[in-house]
Amino acid sequence: MYKSNIIVRNLHRISNNTSIKHNLSRSLATIPSTIPSTNTNSSTSSSTSSSTSTKDKISQKDSTSSGNINVVVPPSGASITLKSATRDASKFGTRPIYLDVQATTPVDPRVLDKMLQFYTGLYGNPHSSTHAYGWETDKEVEIAREYVSKVINADPKEIIFTSGATESNNMIIKGIPRFYKKTKKHIITTQTEHKCVLDSARHMQDEGFEVTYLPVNEEGLINLQDLKNSIRKDTILVSIMAVNNEIGVIQPLKEIGKICRENKVFFHTDAAQAYGKIPIDVNEMNIDALSISSHKIYGPKGLGACYIRRRPRVRLDPIITGGGQERGLRSGTLAAPLIAGFGEAARLMMLESNYDKNYIEKLSNKLKNGLLSIPSTQFNGSKNPNYQYPGCVNISFAYIEGESLLMALKDIALSSGSACTSASLEPSYVLHALGADDALAHSSIRFGIGRFTTEEEVDYVIAAINERVEFLRKMSPLWEMVQEGIDLNSIEWSGH
Amino acid sequence: MVQQKQVLKLYKNLLEKAYKFDNYNFREYAKRRIHDSFKEHKSLTKPEEIAQFYNNGINNLALLTRQSTISQMYTFDKLVVEPLKQHK
Amino acid sequence: MFRNTIKSFTSNIIRPSLITRQLPLRTVQRCSGPVFVRSYAGFPSLTRDLAKERIIELLEGYDKVSTKNGITEDSSFINDLGLDSLDVVEVVMELEHEFNIQIPDNEADGLKTVGQTIDYILSQPDAC
Repeated sequence: MYKSNIIVRNLHRISNNTSIKHNLSRSLATIPSTIPSTNTNSSTSSSTSSSTSTKDKISQKDSTSSGNINVVVPPSGASITLKSATRDASKFGTRPIYLDVQATTPVDPRVLDKMLQFYTGLYGNPHSSTHAYGWETDKEVEIAREYVSKVINADPKEIIFTSGATESNNMIIKGIPRFYKKTKKHIITTQTEHKCVLDSARHMQDEGFEVTYLPVNEEGLINLQDLKNSIRKDTILVSIMAVNNEIGVIQPLKEIGKICRENKVFFHTDAAQAYGKIPIDVNEMNIDALSISSHKIYGPKGLGACYIRRRPRVRLDPIITGGGQERGLRSGTLAAPLIAGFGEAARLMMLESNYDKNYIEKLSNKLKNGLLSIPSTQFNGSKNPNYQYPGCVNISFAYIEGESLLMALKDIALSSGSACTSASLEPSYVLHALGADDALAHSSIRFGIGRFTTEEEVDYVIAAINERVEFLRKMSPLWEMVQEGIDLNSIEWSGH
Repeated sequence: MVQQKQVLKLYKNLLEKAYKFDNYNFREYAKRRIHDSFKEHKSLTKPEEIAQFYNNGINNLALLTRQSTISQMYTFDKLVVEPLKQHK
Repeated sequence: MFRNTIKSFTSNIIRPSLITRQLPLRTVQRCSGPVFVRSYAGFPSLTRDLAKERIIELLEGYDKVSTKNGITEDSSFINDLGLDSLDVVEVVMELEHEFNIQIPDNEADGLKTVGQTIDYILSQPDAC
């Protein structure tokens, strides 16, 4: 595809060239080279007297842009300083590029176009069955429902619209066991589920149910034998997410569905990250319940859906009771604009699924090759392409503190761990379940690639990560020790 | 009967509207998608298929016009990969 | 009574666009001291070589162009450079952006070689 700007072409030359350091110093040549007299850092003055290597030039030039602020002198041998790690602000924009698609996605303009009709003219309540405003809105809702159900090869009557995947998960994990609580007392789930599933399961434990949390291997996949062994006579529900939101690993849904159907246990899967991205067929995979989130498929936020099988019928206790809408399972006025947007997003996922899949795979391979070429990095996830969703790349950078790496990456929107747990200081429990120790779990970053990510952004990320990881490692004493060949496990840290 | 000239005019109009998106990601996606979908359907021969593709294109042109106008009403800062000035 | 004032009032309203354009000249003329010559900041004038260089660079940046023979003034887009009709539309659009001009469709149909494009662009007065 044609790139019209010469500056952009230079960027390509920078990222494609193996000697990134040399090109970076060339691109920084635009920073003025006058040195302010108020600079009090003694080491900078010593560097001015040393030979004119590019590193020293950069530290001189860098001190001008910060004015009176004390400049961090880069360790010897580093090709960049942290200040100059972001590009010249007068030449490029300042808004970070978005690589956190697992947290949420932008609303596709075609979806917005569909929704605007409802915010301007089609404002009727779809449940008003006595006039044309209600009828026309109801017709649109049913069309949307049809699109949503087609993606998973379900019947439109089996789709229930909720306020999000969290509500769908709650509805299913609390509702199904509660309905059958007289005879069934056991729920099975995994250790790497989304917080809402784990929390609802813990809630059911308080209500008297027993919950088994299946362990995962170091790739993130469950062991089917473990599942078979944990199913008891009184198991009512198995809940296993299709694609993990932190590491992108795809569980073997078909085999799990087969095991559950043989043992007459309901199989629920949280398909918030998987819907539309991997092929899901509820009949082939024997799925009885499925949660969908709209804002993960370029749709509006605040809406989700769940699929509840009708043949054989899955009964559940509704959480939200009222006027009996949505088969009595989820009462409340349907948000017609959001539903129409969701339907359009689902239709687009089906239409563009091949194109998006190839594109995301191409970018993901490029990103993985670019990042895993850095020494001492590890890819968290499955090596088998059948069990790994390419749009979610989780990589641990050893001997670096995770928070400082995220701070250094302020011009790229990323996350370490999931968005739900990013407020807490604990490392991700998903990575713990994979067997990673605290340090590695803290220094993992999740890169999300979606429909709207461009190759230029991926190139920028690869170049940026290469620079900053090198910079942070040069500062780290652990890295120095590892370079000297000391085995870190053999060190006796003296406790004071 | 849809002529080649009409198809090329539609292509040019679609690309012109795609350039007007304020959001970098949508702009690049629109350009790429238009380019790739026209290339993919380059070798269609049946007139009904060509007519259907052309009508699809007309609808998408209307959609693009609306959405690119809306995107220019709500603008945000430029991204770090977007150069600020066009000319040297 | 008021007809004259209204007429002069409306004529004053119509004039401002003309007035603002002529303003810089007038202020320069009124100065009695040293005359400061003011010129508009504009783009450098377009020579044939400059235009040719920019066009060739533009074509080289396009990854579909096969440059095995080198790009000369006689290279035809479709025959020598291996572009198809869709690519030619894109190239014309890029030229419009690069030189800040609008190329109407009937003219664009006539641009078949690099030399013809250079000639067309140089013949546009507002190309920069």
